[in-house]
Amino acid sequence: MWIAELWRRLRVLLDRDRFERDLQEEMRIHLEFLASEHADRDAARRRFGNSTRLREESREIWNIGGSLWRDVRYGLRSLAKARSFTALAVFTLALGIGASTAVFSLVDAVLIKPLPYPHPDRVMIPWRLPPPRSDLGLDELPWGILDLRVFERTATLFEHIGAFKSDSFNLTGMGEPELLEGIRASAGFFRALGVEPALGRFYTNEEDSPGREREAILSDRLWRSRFAADPNILGRAVELNGFSYAVIGVMPPGFAFPRAAEMPGSFNFPREPQLWVPLALTPMPYPTQPSDLAVIGRVRPGVSTAQAQAQMDLCTAELDRRMPQAKGWFRGRVVSLEHQVAGGTRRPLLLMLIAVSVVLLIACSNVANLLLIRSLGRSREFSLRAALGAGRARLVGQLLTESLLLAALAGAGGLGIAAAGLDFAKRFGPPNIPRLAEASLNLDVFLFAFAASLLTGILFGFAPAIEASRHTLIETLKDGARGSSGSRSRLRSGLLIFQVALALVLAVASGLLTRSFRELVRVDPGFNPHSVLSFTLSLPSSRYSETSSITALFDTLLRHLRAVPGVESAGIGETVPMGGTGESTVVRIVEHAGDDPKQRPDAVYTIASPGYFAAVGTPLLRGRLLAESDTAETKPVTVISKSLAERFFVGENPIGKHLALGSPRFPPMEIVGIVADVKHLSLREGPAPEMYVPYTQKPYPSMLVMRVVVRTSAGPRAAAGYIREAVHASDRDLPVAELATLSSIVDQSLTQPRFAMLLVAGFGALAVALAAIGMYGVISYSVTRRTQEIGIRMALGAARSDVLRMILIQGARFAAAGITLGIAASFLVTPLIAAFLYGIRPADPVTFAGVSLLLAAVALLACYIPARRATRLDPTLALRHE
Amino acid sequence: MRDEIPPGTLYMLILKTLARRGEMHGFEIANAIQQISGEVLQVEEGSLYPALQRMLIKGWLTAQWGATRENRRARYYRLTRAGRKQLDAELAQYRRVSHAIFRVIEGA
Repeated sequence: MWIAELWRRLRVLLDRDRFERDLQEEMRIHLEFLASEHADRDAARRRFGNSTRLREESREIWNIGGSLWRDVRYGLRSLAKARSFTALAVFTLALGIGASTAVFSLVDAVLIKPLPYPHPDRVMIPWRLPPPRSDLGLDELPWGILDLRVFERTATLFEHIGAFKSDSFNLTGMGEPELLEGIRASAGFFRALGVEPALGRFYTNEEDSPGREREAILSDRLWRSRFAADPNILGRAVELNGFSYAVIGVMPPGFAFPRAAEMPGSFNFPREPQLWVPLALTPMPYPTQPSDLAVIGRVRPGVSTAQAQAQMDLCTAELDRRMPQAKGWFRGRVVSLEHQVAGGTRRPLLLMLIAVSVVLLIACSNVANLLLIRSLGRSREFSLRAALGAGRARLVGQLLTESLLLAALAGAGGLGIAAAGLDFAKRFGPPNIPRLAEASLNLDVFLFAFAASLLTGILFGFAPAIEASRHTLIETLKDGARGSSGSRSRLRSGLLIFQVALALVLAVASGLLTRSFRELVRVDPGFNPHSVLSFTLSLPSSRYSETSSITALFDTLLRHLRAVPGVESAGIGETVPMGGTGESTVVRIVEHAGDDPKQRPDAVYTIASPGYFAAVGTPLLRGRLLAESDTAETKPVTVISKSLAERFFVGENPIGKHLALGSPRFPPMEIVGIVADVKHLSLREGPAPEMYVPYTQKPYPSMLVMRVVVRTSAGPRAAAGYIREAVHASDRDLPVAELATLSSIVDQSLTQPRFAMLLVAGFGALAVALAAIGMYGVISYSVTRRTQEIGIRMALGAARSDVLRMILIQGARFAAAGITLGIAASFLVTPLIAAFLYGIRPADPVTFAGVSLLLAAVALLACYIPARRATRLDPTLALRHE
Repeated sequence: MRDEIPPGTLYMLILKTLARRGEMHGFEIANAIQQISGEVLQVEEGSLYPALQRMLIKGWLTAQWGATRENRRARYYRLTRAGRKQLDAELAQYRRVSHAIFRVIEGA
């Protein structure tokens, strides 16, 4: 009912002129009727009354909420008159609203918007966990075939279960060979996600078996980039890793599961998978094969995560019963896909949201103070309006309307700032924020900006409006238009102290993040990334099935590379630093025969060629490096990392001792050298024991996917050309994939902490600047109010320095109160960000002291400007000041 | 001697007049109320037009420009369905109250 009425009022509002004209015309006609009856025109007019008043009364009836329209127009006029105030207030608020809207749009994309799968809450990922207190440095373990089969049998509450792992595929036979990153997935993988292909079909369970698995599903991006979006692609044969695959489907745009950003780093999933092929797991009896699978499942409707976890525990119990010797290795945790995808970003994003809300709060209290100060200057206006009969509610309404107008202007500006901020985040933000590309200024975000503007308008407008309206006629008269009402100045001081305290908390947080980022950059990564290029070499298993053919290729390639002018060293390894971690294995130290088998080292096992360490820049600490003379015929050797030497050879020299792998088939290797510890996934990680084995002597596994490292004095662009030539000279069909400088790989790992640091530091700087503006406003207002008092003091002999000191002390009191409160609050708050810090405690005294001093200095500077103005006063003029 | 319209009854009078006569313009409404009441009730123009505006906003009336029999321009008002309902409600309430008042006065 009232909606229809509001609609009619709105229509009147939108077409005011017509309604005005109608009414005026109608009344004129009425007068004419009257006149024709009365003959006396004046009498008629008298009877009719004051037509202007009548029109105004009618107008009042049309208006929404009666006086709103008038208040808005009056508010606009009064804001337009106080231009600098309006500009400052709108700018301050727009920054606050814009920053929070931008952060909210990220939160919306990452945490709020549902995943693009049907019933995403039913998709779960069970992970296997390492045994408690194990020292693997991994949070999740891959599944093996056996444990997967047991899980499939016990997990009856799951509708579909699929397994998958990452793999790379050499696309050949159509122009330049290209290395594609893809996923080997079982047929249940797609059913668990609940997706449908945009074109074609998925493979069936029967097709997902060894010997029949030559079918491929392409990503929309691959289909467009390599196959020109060919609508007749289904059935076409493509050559992957030397085998012919039939294309049977194309996924819808945007589907790229699993992305590396959404999955644990140790699984080495591609940044964006481009194709999916059958996993084709071998049926019983299972061969010994490394555990390298991830599992995804869809539970039946209504099944909770806890129930799914209970089934995981059943599976654990069953596996423990079957393999008591490996008891403790089968624990698992079921995580919903939503949690998995948002995973590591949830906390940083919420942190950002809190930080940005603090900025918004400071902006609000700042504008509230500006309004309070402004309302003091308008007391005469309010008195006049009160004298003319405006009630308190009308005055509050008018002031609130003005605040809401300010907020609306700021909200519009804020949307612009948010759009720019989002664009900035997309361009310069870390690549591993999941779903960042999906973030946009959608309806949710608009609603957020609207709500934020409305809330802030009420928040900063309410207290000043109430305060101002308290200032009644009589009081103003009694006060002689001057008295500073006690409650009002208390409110101002309170707001100012609150601002300073909040700014200090944010500044401390950003100080901590900045210092921890500096620590992170200064970490010795165990290698030297400057002027090093690396690329991935992926060999088709069809042509490189023998180790001998692989090593022959490596020899040729390294010889070609080393012949290139400018190349200082070149090597091949399973991984490059910061490019992922290798497989780890439990090793036995032959000389420590009496050791408890449970205490044996678990070492990362990396295959490397001679020249690898020189190319990567990992320094040799003791003994020798791998050499050309280490061949398949000579005694097996290994080079170990510093942490392996220090942890497992306490007080003895590891050189000359022997390491043996788990299986007795492999001969023990003699330790010939010790190299520095290398960072594998992030600069934050602690050192892990590691061993390097020469590629000529490697006992396992195949070396089909290896990383080549080249240290060269030529520029990266020129070197890239030489590298391609060298690779093509060794094998014409091999693609050069993921060619990148090592420093760019290191840099990429720093983008997220750098982005977080820059963002929070930006918010911190904004908060400090806002607090400084607030301080400046309050002090300079107080100087103006005290002009006469200062004049008297100076007339009575106070020196300029006394006046300066007096004003500064007033400001210092505010600053000291705010800083004290802020330090107390920071002690409570900083432990929350401990997880984001590296090499620094949340209660870092240097940061706390430095930030407090900085804030005090900024606050005093903000006071100094008005204080100096006070000292320049001419006492004779000041005495006469009103 | 003409009397002022008792407070709160103006809407009802306008609604009833329109219900009886169909389409009317402002001057006709005022005149009709005056005539039917036997020249007792006089509608002030100062309250008639604001009341008409309010009733338009409430959706009880619609207004349309037209011509009188003498071919003069006038704005004609007409009752809507909501207006008819409102009239019934107001009439019922008025009867209840005036009956009660009558009983109080006569009973005394």
